[in-house]
Amino acid sequence: MYNLMYVVKKDNGGFMDTHKNMLTEPIVDLKNVCISYGKDPDVLSNVNLSLDKGSFHFLTGKSGAGKTSLLSMMYLALKPSKGTVFVFGSNIGYAGRDSMAMLRRRIGVVFQDFRLLEHLSAYDNVAVPLRIRGMSENEIKKRVKELLKWVELEQSMDKICSTLSGGEKQRVAIARAVINRPEILLADEPTGNVDNDIAAKLMKLFVELNKLGTTVVIATHSKDLIAEYNYPQIHLENKSVKVIPALRRSAHEN
Amino acid sequence: MKTKWFGFNRSELPLQHDKANLFLQISTAISVFLFVITLAAYFMISSVILSWNKNIIDGLTVQIMPSTDTLSAEENTMRINKVIMCVEGWSGVDRVRLISDQKIKKLMSPWLGSDADINALPLPKLLDVRLKNGKTFDYEAAKESLADVAPYASIDNHGIWLKKLIKSARSLKVLSLFILALVLTASVFSLFYAVGTSLRVHQHIIEILHIMGATDGYIAKQYAHISFVITFISALVGTIIAVVALFAVSMLSAGLESGLIGAASLTGTHWFVLCLMPLLTAVISTGMSYLCVKRTLGKML
Repeated sequence: MYNLMYVVKKDNGGFMDTHKNMLTEPIVDLKNVCISYGKDPDVLSNVNLSLDKGSFHFLTGKSGAGKTSLLSMMYLALKPSKGTVFVFGSNIGYAGRDSMAMLRRRIGVVFQDFRLLEHLSAYDNVAVPLRIRGMSENEIKKRVKELLKWVELEQSMDKICSTLSGGEKQRVAIARAVINRPEILLADEPTGNVDNDIAAKLMKLFVELNKLGTTVVIATHSKDLIAEYNYPQIHLENKSVKVIPALRRSAHEN
Repeated sequence: MKTKWFGFNRSELPLQHDKANLFLQISTAISVFLFVITLAAYFMISSVILSWNKNIIDGLTVQIMPSTDTLSAEENTMRINKVIMCVEGWSGVDRVRLISDQKIKKLMSPWLGSDADINALPLPKLLDVRLKNGKTFDYEAAKESLADVAPYASIDNHGIWLKKLIKSARSLKVLSLFILALVLTASVFSLFYAVGTSLRVHQHIIEILHIMGATDGYIAKQYAHISFVITFISALVGTIIAVVALFAVSMLSAGLESGLIGAASLTGTHWFVLCLMPLLTAVISTGMSYLCVKRTLGKML
């Protein structure tokens, strides 16, 4: 089994130790943020939201409510039309291109449409974040094989992604997002295309990562998932954000 | 597990399969072919000008007209020696040589044919005079001195008519430089076009790489690598074709009797520079690709 605790203790990428001074401030902080595309009306308006380090939230709202836009801003692919965004304490409005790249390396993203590099194998897709970090091929091989085994894709690691099924692609996308032990994990409908057993296993992975200090935000429409795990919700409605706290601890966590 | 292509093991971007590559390969090969040919022409023109300056401007010919009277061989020799002694007395003369009848016959053979008896013709005797420095030589004083001693002899100054030739050759040099600049500009634009097209084609992959934390430099390095491989191979092909063409031209022109153009040859250094073209092209295009990609990505989020 993929031993997250062992690997993080061995090598946490340097992030968790070097950023102890930031533990007290939110890991993501949005202040009066508006998001709009071109001259269209705002998708989100005057959003104020703080995510503490190690928190776990579900992101909910109807289709078109702005969940993907909010996630895009959190993984630094979208700048707000108004307002200020702080990620890891850095104001992204003033961050240079290389600084943005370094911040993005601390964020894992699972896209709703997977966004895999279709011409590469499952192995190479999962290895990309590590290669970007400049890790040695031996270490990459060890980590990627271990994680692909855990998401039950060991037999398919050499298959080109375009030949994988939807469920397999989703597991590759999740493996790619967590291989770097991100400090923030943002997932857009991560369990939408997999069966219940795999979904439960993936949620267990997210919970494990969260226990190790990763801040997790999962966008979902699944009321069952929200009910089962009972984490706070960031609910989007009428262009604004409402945080609904977790009212009770689920049996799963107890 | 990684796609490997000429050691290209950082292949998140499938650049080796780009359709724009064929365009870049063909345009690079043609550009390098033209560049090498034009550069060779530039080198040859430079050699010719240098040779003219060195060997012809630093020399003059003295013509000794045949006497209208019938003279004995001894009298004729004395007549010639008088001129030689006069010429040797000029300041700045390095060497004086009487051109043999055999050489004159050879020079005249295109007009008179190889069987002509030149002794039966009233041809002047010629002195080939080498000067220490043709630019500072006092031609007027020499003319006056010769007129006093031997009025039947006259000076033929090569520099007067060669100056016009050198001026024309220098114009050709400027023209070849202009052509080199044009070829270089066209090559740069071709490269920018190919890179720009590729960036648009792979924009979705580049966005994913950026989201995963890739710096612009990381992506630009992949472009630089593929540019090096493509342009080196294409430039090698263009250079080989150009070198073969230059050899063919030099073989054909070797049969031509031309004292002036004979100096238009390439030295070892020239060949070395021409053969460096594939490497130089690859290095320049690598740098240009890297900068072009970084500049373009700098405009993205």
